[in-house]
Amino acid sequence: MGVIRAEPARMTDWAARSIGAAWRAFDLQLAAYAGLLAILGLVMAYTNSVEQGQAVLSGGTTFVRGLMWTGIALIAFVVTTAFDYKWLKTFAWPLYALQLGLLLATLAIGHGVGGASRWISVGPFDFQFSELAKILMIVVLSNYLGARQGRLGSLTSILGACVLVAPPWILVMLQPDLGTSLVMIGILAGMLFMSGASLRWLGSMAGLVLASLPIVWNYILRDYQKQRLLSFLDPSSDTQGAGYQLFQSQIAVGSGGLTGTGLTNGSQNQLNFLPVQESDFVAAIYLEELGFVGALVLLVLFAALLFRLMVAGWRSKDPFGMMFASGLASMILFQLVVNLGMVIGLMPITGIPLPFISHGGASLISLAVGLGIVQSINIRQTRAEW
Amino acid sequence: MTPLLDGRRQYSRPNNRFLIFALAAILAIGGLTTRLFYLQIVNGGQFTVLSEGNRTSAEAIPSARGLIYDRRGVALVKNVPTFAVKIRPVDLPEDRRDDVVSRLASLLNMDPADINGAIDSNPGSRFDLVRIATDVPDATARLLSEAGDALPGVEVVIEARRQYPLGTLVSQLLGYTGPVSPDQLPALRTEGYLPDDLLGKTGIEAYYETQLRGTYGSKTVEKDASGRKIQDLQTVTQAQSGDSLTLTIDAKEQALAQKALLWGMRAAGLKRGVVIVENPQTGEILAMVSLPTYDDNAFARGISGKAYAKLLADKNKPLLNHAIQAHYPPGSTYKLVTGSGALSDHKISTSTRVTTRPYLLLGQTKFWEWNHRGWGAIPIMLGFAHSSDTFFFQLAGMLGIDRLAHWAKNFGFGAPTGIDLPGEVAGIVPSNPWKQEMFGEKIYPGEVYQAGIGQGYDVVTPIQLINAYAALANGGKLYKPQVVRQIIGPDGSVVRPFAPKLIRRLAVPRSVLTTMREAARNVVLVRHTYNLVDLPIVVAGKSGTAEFGIRDSKGRLPFHSWFIGIVPKNPKKVASDPTGMKAMAREDAQLVVLAFAYDSRTKGNTATEIVKYYLQLHFNIKHDYRNFDLLHRGNFYQSN
Repeated sequence: MGVIRAEPARMTDWAARSIGAAWRAFDLQLAAYAGLLAILGLVMAYTNSVEQGQAVLSGGTTFVRGLMWTGIALIAFVVTTAFDYKWLKTFAWPLYALQLGLLLATLAIGHGVGGASRWISVGPFDFQFSELAKILMIVVLSNYLGARQGRLGSLTSILGACVLVAPPWILVMLQPDLGTSLVMIGILAGMLFMSGASLRWLGSMAGLVLASLPIVWNYILRDYQKQRLLSFLDPSSDTQGAGYQLFQSQIAVGSGGLTGTGLTNGSQNQLNFLPVQESDFVAAIYLEELGFVGALVLLVLFAALLFRLMVAGWRSKDPFGMMFASGLASMILFQLVVNLGMVIGLMPITGIPLPFISHGGASLISLAVGLGIVQSINIRQTRAEW
Repeated sequence: MTPLLDGRRQYSRPNNRFLIFALAAILAIGGLTTRLFYLQIVNGGQFTVLSEGNRTSAEAIPSARGLIYDRRGVALVKNVPTFAVKIRPVDLPEDRRDDVVSRLASLLNMDPADINGAIDSNPGSRFDLVRIATDVPDATARLLSEAGDALPGVEVVIEARRQYPLGTLVSQLLGYTGPVSPDQLPALRTEGYLPDDLLGKTGIEAYYETQLRGTYGSKTVEKDASGRKIQDLQTVTQAQSGDSLTLTIDAKEQALAQKALLWGMRAAGLKRGVVIVENPQTGEILAMVSLPTYDDNAFARGISGKAYAKLLADKNKPLLNHAIQAHYPPGSTYKLVTGSGALSDHKISTSTRVTTRPYLLLGQTKFWEWNHRGWGAIPIMLGFAHSSDTFFFQLAGMLGIDRLAHWAKNFGFGAPTGIDLPGEVAGIVPSNPWKQEMFGEKIYPGEVYQAGIGQGYDVVTPIQLINAYAALANGGKLYKPQVVRQIIGPDGSVVRPFAPKLIRRLAVPRSVLTTMREAARNVVLVRHTYNLVDLPIVVAGKSGTAEFGIRDSKGRLPFHSWFIGIVPKNPKKVASDPTGMKAMAREDAQLVVLAFAYDSRTKGNTATEIVKYYLQLHFNIKHDYRNFDLLHRGNFYQSN
């Protein structure tokens, strides 16, 4: 492995197929759901800008930045769709090196709040490379697990996958970024499961992880992280301190009712009761302003998107395609559950963005790249037998 | 290598895992949906209320505090607009606190420790304002309000502060306002007080707090999460100004009393003293001076911790109103009780002669006459006039301790008079039940003797003593002393007019009181009080010398001196009444004056000199009758 093998068949593949055939294989539904979710994200960027009292179309507002990132994401999506995903297998190891490089760079020159280093400034914009690292991680794992088909009953395959994830995971924990590191574990678990790895070994691993939780609590988690977890257990006990965000967030969601308070009318948002309302807690604003109806729309869109991702995986003739689609689905499902769960008081605060909706260029572009790869997988299969 | 696009799967797809993954996703999304349904539809209303409460909150509109005037309408307190500096702790980042505090301290010319203390003892929540400084100069206030981001959490507000134009003249009487203390806050909060509120702490400001404060109004304001006000929404209730007070105190008399007391204390080198002037016909207090004193304005401006500690540490207790908040042995002034009691209980009559001696012997103990000689067998008119100790030892012995206590209590001793000032103490009237409770034993016969002349366990407050003599002067009506004459509403109407409040009619027959008044005049006539008799007005009275503390090398005790003077109506001496006895037989006295000189140890009775000087000033007597030589220190027991 690690040697670039030029295969003439691949080079000619794109040219050999008509654009029409590619278009027919392109999953329009998948693109549509993702597009609608991205539009919801823009709507939230708009309402946030209005409520912050900004002139919506002037430079630098959340909305204008959102528009720009969406444009870049669209380009990234088209480019990765056109790009033959099979090259990813070839470049898996260099991509792994790139992932580690990005994370190391973030640690070295990144900045963030409270002494953390999470973002790297690219021109006037802050870019969170750990988002891109998650997608690269899925690529690397897809390549590894796809190549080990047939040997997945053994513990070595599982341990191998864990060893692959360990270096980037440690680099993320050093930032420190608990949210992203948890997402990485979620991706690993989902992909191991979908790879067909031995359930007995997977179960034992899970048991081991649970058993090690006390060690994590005592030696790995920072104080503020513990505080967040503790306040989750009883958010109303300290409504002005650590439980404040959780409490205010639940108030926001609850006051949304059936149809919501209407866009730009959220009192919680407008008066700054909610912290980080444009990123991690954006869902609270969404749920307050669009209510339960809006929540159903959001959840149905996510469910449909996940379904189309699983269909893509199901259809894929080669294990890499199946693994990648599963990995991306795991990531989106995990982030959806953890972020919404946090907003509605089912999960502790961990700082995981809600895909498409939370503002953040890196998150959106990474999703676009991931979805582009899945489309690339879609259009490079022969027609399914069903 | 198998061609990739041959349409066959290159691996065995784990179909059941797809199924499980899909199920897990459905379960997870279904769970989120259920929870959202519960939060938004089932419980929605409750959160809407919470969200509204988050946004609007009630804020108090302070009311204008009532003013205080003396009986002639002289303003004793004003409300002046002033800049106050406050800190909202939640807006002050912890890592910048030291920096902000030290800069604030230098701008306000304060001790950083005081600022830190104020923040740390903040009784409210971190969202409530904490008072740092009151009465900040305009220039500093402007500088601070422009500092903005350089001093996060610091706010400058305009508020009314109390100004006491007469300063130290009426300090303990008026008292001062100050910030709510942390231990008071929980109780006060239910009454609508704010954590950074001011309230009366001592004196009249404290006693009449409810009336002076008025009723705070309320308005709803819109706030953001950090507690910053966005706008006023509406006024719910208007603030109602507090009531104003007209005192019984006459600022002019107060100034004369203070002048007389200051002179006496300076001349005799004393550290503490009290002068009280009362109208015996109503119980109105015309003047009440307690020295040393302090300035209420220092507190109204926000006293520094250091200055306050210094006042607290002063062993002469300037913060205390010694007229009502401290008790001292009454000495011979107490012979009023013993004499009245013995006459009322018919132990003696006005003509009964009691033999006075150099000393009385009780077991092995000698109870000395103060002049170590005695006056032979004399009636009460002379016994009281010469203040014979052996005379009143014997009267006390005839009465017994419990009857003596009965009469003392009848005169108002041993219980607070109920004057409308806070912190009044009760004094002690010894009796068998009292001693049984305190020491588990009965009163000894020697202690009965001591009690009869106002020594031993006897302690009284100056206000009790003058009030007892006021009852003597008016023929037996024991009035509750009062310092507030009227309560005036914000519209100028009289909310509470003045009315004398009778505690009780003394059980002592009026004829006995007349005898005692005449005896008090005789005190002056026999020159027990030196040249007081030479004044062009009729004065009756009783002096007292009360030993206390520890004996010196010659076995002598330090002592306080007392004098209470009674001046009849139309006091000018007239030819038809050369002795003034007729005037004293009447019950129409308008003026009772008490002076108390703490630890006097002078040749003569300092208190008498102080009262005499006050009367000279009050009646505008041109000739000066003061005896400066009586105020030289060091001599002991020149008078009693």
